[in-house]
Amino acid sequence: MPPAAPDARAGLLDRRLVVFTGKGGTGKSALSAALALAASRRGKRVLVCEVTARERVSELLGRPASGTQIHELAPNLYSVHVRPPEAMREYALMILRYETLYNLVFENKVVRYFLTAAPSLAEIVMLGKVWWHATREMERGRPRWDLVVLDAPATGHGLTLLTVPDVFLSIVSEGPLARDMRDMQLLLKDPARCRTCIVTLPEEMPANEAIELHRALDQHGLPQGALFLNGVFEPRFAPQERTQVARGGPLLAAAADAMESHEARADLSVRYEQLLRNEVRLPLLAVPYLFDRSFGPQAIEKVARSIEAAL
Amino acid sequence: MRRPEDRALARHPLLDQVLARRRVVCCVGPGGVGKTTTAAALALRAAMAGKRSLVLTIDPARRLANSLGLKALGNRETRIDDALFRAAGLHPRGEMYAMMLDLKLTWDELVQRQAPSPERARQILENRLYQKLSTAMAGSLEYMAMEKVSELRSSGRFDVVVLDTPPTTNALDFLRAPDRILDVLDNDAMRILLGPMLKASRIGLKLFALPTGLVLRTLAKFTGQDFLRDLAHFMVAFEGMYEGFKQRASQVKQLLAGPEAAFVLVTTPSPLSIEDALFFHRALQADGISTAALVVNRVQRDPHRLGGPDSAPALREALQLAQIADGGDPPLSQRLARTLAEQGTLADLDRRQVQELSRTLPEVPLYVVPRLRKDVHDLAGLWQIDEYLSAAEE
Repeated sequence: MPPAAPDARAGLLDRRLVVFTGKGGTGKSALSAALALAASRRGKRVLVCEVTARERVSELLGRPASGTQIHELAPNLYSVHVRPPEAMREYALMILRYETLYNLVFENKVVRYFLTAAPSLAEIVMLGKVWWHATREMERGRPRWDLVVLDAPATGHGLTLLTVPDVFLSIVSEGPLARDMRDMQLLLKDPARCRTCIVTLPEEMPANEAIELHRALDQHGLPQGALFLNGVFEPRFAPQERTQVARGGPLLAAAADAMESHEARADLSVRYEQLLRNEVRLPLLAVPYLFDRSFGPQAIEKVARSIEAAL
Repeated sequence: MRRPEDRALARHPLLDQVLARRRVVCCVGPGGVGKTTTAAALALRAAMAGKRSLVLTIDPARRLANSLGLKALGNRETRIDDALFRAAGLHPRGEMYAMMLDLKLTWDELVQRQAPSPERARQILENRLYQKLSTAMAGSLEYMAMEKVSELRSSGRFDVVVLDTPPTTNALDFLRAPDRILDVLDNDAMRILLGPMLKASRIGLKLFALPTGLVLRTLAKFTGQDFLRDLAHFMVAFEGMYEGFKQRASQVKQLLAGPEAAFVLVTTPSPLSIEDALFFHRALQADGISTAALVVNRVQRDPHRLGGPDSAPALREALQLAQIADGGDPPLSQRLARTLAEQGTLADLDRRQVQELSRTLPEVPLYVVPRLRKDVHDLAGLWQIDEYLSAAEE
């Protein structure tokens, strides 16, 4: 029997943490911003965590960069740029509780050196901060955030980030960090609380990478939400029209060229959508290509409307 | 085919000239901009010109890999079959090879080469921490790509090695990876910190190698004692090998900053990719490395260059003249007008981006590859890209 068709609704708004990953340049930040916007419009208090070197979501929503402090971008919508040094300090203070002890140990030159060189420590503290916002941060007796959106790094680094608890726990099994890592692992692997979404484009490399990522996330036991196919072109001309206009002579030369460029991309959209539907057992959401001259708040509004079905 | 108007724009030296004497070409840039394709096209170009070229790739598109006869990872160079060239109508004067980098294998080979004895190599290869580090450590892929390039370069088997770099968003990671990883391997600070544990490890007193001192005890709170103990064992196993590693890393750095190497910055006209590319450029500059060339892939060509009407009423007339029914809903003329406008917008956006980029980096020769109607997945497609790369655009 074929596997059951995936639920058309991914129910992303019912989670505590939604992660976006996928090949570089596919529009992870735009989709993170769009999902956060859609959620905030429905009354959810949303925090977007950006962990890559450059902050993008605030800019996409037409606001100044948030930096490492939480800033409001729109009603109910906040963002923060999670950077390793700040996350490290916050996290260490949380465990040590005493500033003096922190200063003694973590401001120690030798230790600082150890910390910048220690492998995966950056990922650990960044993920730790996201986890804390998603599960621990309270305000007036209730979780401060209804939904945390993590705009994760591209495929390889994204997977490294999401599997850092697995790697860490295979080396370390004791101590407060291991305890928190176990809790983090539980969150990332709990389909009721967390979903990882894949963003891709109708092109060969991004599509194949999405398929591989889908399998890798599966193997690591990380529950997935939806597959977003970004930049889709709809076929617009019938085969007969294409033949006729192509032979229409010099007056129609520019029109024929534009038509062929469009249809070439529509062909790719159809081909890769089919491939992805066959290979990825997730709700697939096609986001149309936008011809906006600048990719700002208006474009994000449009993307937010086109992903309503995923919510 | 290259069109006359592209040729007319050629003001910079040809890419062939820019790269003529380089032995190592690194294609860098953000993810998803066609670095692999560009790298393969450059290697093909070198082979066509009579060189023995190798393209070292990290994670190529499956169809491109298949079409080059690359079947699996494994650090083995595969010679591109003559039959494939003939099928593409190409007759290279040289030879082209391709290789997919295997991260774990490259690490293992490096350890085996550097270890003073097979016994020591075995100890390291079996260390739990090493097994994790060699595959999971951030920056590891970047470091090993560079390591492999350096090894291939010194082997002298190839006239030119073209590296398709990993899709790192952080250029600094990529360039600093060797330093960072060496810091982990040979870190005086860590040695001081782990001192007592190291001593115990060395004489094999596993049970007594407990962290001592406030600083170490506090750290153990975070990482657990097991980790620190594994680390101490690992560092002891690596003792005496740092010099070799350091030498190699500094050789790699020298090679990359020297006249034999060229960095080709690959991007697309998307504003985000260009931002990332500029970020890369600055990071390279900060490390004393200049960008030899800029390749802008997937630039939309303006349909209006071909002339003809573009408004719906005028297109309606043109359709009538050509005796084509203006049918459908919306009618064909309106769909054509909309498509022309959209494609024109795309071309205009791309053109502005390319112009802006060329104004920002006037000293770097810039090469434009138009958006092709089909994915490039064979030698013929790569050669088509080379046709465009041989014309420079302002």
